[in-house]
Amino acid sequence: MSSNKPMPVATSLSAPFWDGLKAGKIMLQQCGDCQQWTFYPRRHCSHCLSHNVAWKEVSGKGTLYTFTVARVPTLPEFAGAELQILAVVELEQGVRVNTTLIGLDPEQIEIGMPVKPVRARVSEDGTVLLRYTGANVDLTERDEVPKAPPAPTADSGPAKQQIAVTDEAALKALVSDEYSAWSNQVLVDQNLINAFAELSGDNYWIHTDPERARKEGPFGGTIAHGALVQVLMSRMQVPLTFEITGFTNMVNYGSERLRFPSPVPAGSLVHSRARVKAVERNKRGTQLTLEFNVHVVGQERPAVINDLVILYM
Amino acid sequence: MGLKGQAAIVGAAQYKPEKYSTAPQMFHLEQVADLAAQALADAGLKASDIDGLCINGPHFHEASSFVPAMAAEYLGIALNFAEVVDLGGTTAVGMIWRAAAAIELGQCQAVLCVIPQRMAPFGPDEDPSAMARAMRYGGHSTQFGAPEAEFDLPYGHMGQNTGYAMIAQRYAAQYGYDPRALAKIAVDQRTSAQAHPDAIFRGQTLTIEDVLNSKMVADPLHILEIVMPVAGGAAVIVASKEMAAKARNRPAYVTGFGERLGYKSPTYSPDMTETPVGPAARGAFAMSGLKPQDMHTAQIYDCYTITVLLSLEDAGFCAKGEGMRFILENDLTYSGNFPMNTHGGQLSFGQAGAAGGFSQVIEGYQQIAGRAGDRQLKVCDQVFVSGTGGVMSEQGALILQGA
Repeated sequence: MSSNKPMPVATSLSAPFWDGLKAGKIMLQQCGDCQQWTFYPRRHCSHCLSHNVAWKEVSGKGTLYTFTVARVPTLPEFAGAELQILAVVELEQGVRVNTTLIGLDPEQIEIGMPVKPVRARVSEDGTVLLRYTGANVDLTERDEVPKAPPAPTADSGPAKQQIAVTDEAALKALVSDEYSAWSNQVLVDQNLINAFAELSGDNYWIHTDPERARKEGPFGGTIAHGALVQVLMSRMQVPLTFEITGFTNMVNYGSERLRFPSPVPAGSLVHSRARVKAVERNKRGTQLTLEFNVHVVGQERPAVINDLVILYM
Repeated sequence: MGLKGQAAIVGAAQYKPEKYSTAPQMFHLEQVADLAAQALADAGLKASDIDGLCINGPHFHEASSFVPAMAAEYLGIALNFAEVVDLGGTTAVGMIWRAAAAIELGQCQAVLCVIPQRMAPFGPDEDPSAMARAMRYGGHSTQFGAPEAEFDLPYGHMGQNTGYAMIAQRYAAQYGYDPRALAKIAVDQRTSAQAHPDAIFRGQTLTIEDVLNSKMVADPLHILEIVMPVAGGAAVIVASKEMAAKARNRPAYVTGFGERLGYKSPTYSPDMTETPVGPAARGAFAMSGLKPQDMHTAQIYDCYTITVLLSLEDAGFCAKGEGMRFILENDLTYSGNFPMNTHGGQLSFGQAGAAGGFSQVIEGYQQIAGRAGDRQLKVCDQVFVSGTGGVMSEQGALILQGA
């Protein structure tokens, strides 16, 4: 499963660092001449330019030098259920590293606090990033490779208010500016996007060619078809608090408004919520307009807005 | 050592800051020629007087190398001095002292310093998504082998906001933090912007509460403490004393400068709260023989409010850790007792990319020349100008003096 998050590409100079992380070790370079430590990896000592540098295993422990909570994720891909907390950690060896803090709430974080490394597996190729958490948090490694969340069970969701289709007043009372709770989450990965491309015949490279999309596209990788995300509604169970009864037939009458305001990068989790926007009686029957909004998890801006019209006859 | 004050700013031109979506699209060479003509007219000089050029290399639209030669050809001028300056937000300050130094060495007599920052028209084969792609990672390189591509981007460290936010958080842990003091920088500058006809936020005043209630982007920075990018561009002409004597307006002599950089990411600085503004400003003051308290105005590079706080302290306008008190106790508007960023600063005037730093240089020049209109200071003979590039990582300082 791919993700559009930038991944480290090891060079011949830095490979021991990344290989070390994969093998559970934190490797740093130390100068054999001036004994000082260097980070990030270089051919030379960053203090005296000596080439006499050697890789050493270190504990990775350090103190928090500074941090910030990115209330606006630095890339859409960093939006998620978890806050993006960027940090700089000063290791025992004196070098500083750019990292992120996990397993901590912002109010638990204090500059100068002791922190310890967390090995975060971020890709199926085994790439591990060096994240950090509080020294006393029970966390040493974490699997962050995107996985499909479980499908919802048939009887999940809130108890539903039964409303007869003839009860116009009760139906009108459903109209609200407030959205429902979120649905279950669905993973939009490259396999799903490819399958949709084949089915629909829309195999434009921005959806199907990760390599080209990374190099030439504006989003750092592939994005899902808007139409795909729209139909994924069927996989999302929005916990509506009502159920309409007493009709003979119910039709999906189409959409009053369909917008794709923001992209869904491959590898994103999406979920949705809804509200009743309008209730109308006409010759054909009772017409309910439900505004469904699909969001990438953690993103404020919806990826799909669909004002779905359902006709009860 | 250093400058002897034999070179001066004698003319300037600056496009009115506009939103990229509404600003005219012009080729960068076209903007260079247009801005040059306006600056020459402002100075009362002619094109053939120009024999030096400082121009931006990065982000120049029509070429990524051979830029000075291409520009000289386009302008139809011959150069004895040509320089590409690549110092982010302190490019403008860096251009001015390089021009002054080249003039004092006798290498040339009048230098055009110019940065075009309106968008160029898209060609048929040009990829509009290239711009979106470049903006996605801020000023971070994505090239194979670039340390930041490998050790910053995968963690989400990119762009400027979170870097400045982390500096502010570190400052807060060391010296305390009063959000109202930081907000007051934006508010006082907004007041001054009301007196600049070209300021993008003219007509929209601001209160401390407005700033503190605005969206939090990265703790502790609110969106109204962060500069807004605009289309624009600017040119300044630096000329020899002999040529300055013929200039139409009162020249602003360049009597001191400093420059300091040693890292791109402040993560690798010796101390995040001791910025390179310190050595840059000390160098500039020492060269001019003046002190911070001799300045009639300070034009401080202001990509963020925290940039201003740290610059005021490190340049010596107040002691370390005293910046917030200094801001609260002084009126920073053009009519105040410590007039700073009298054009509104980039926060309220608009930040035209790398040309944004010119707004501070040009305001300093116009105040000395007595041409700052409604915001003109009664006395203005000595001006401090700072430049900040990267994440407080490339810094420059200038002392400008009226004769």
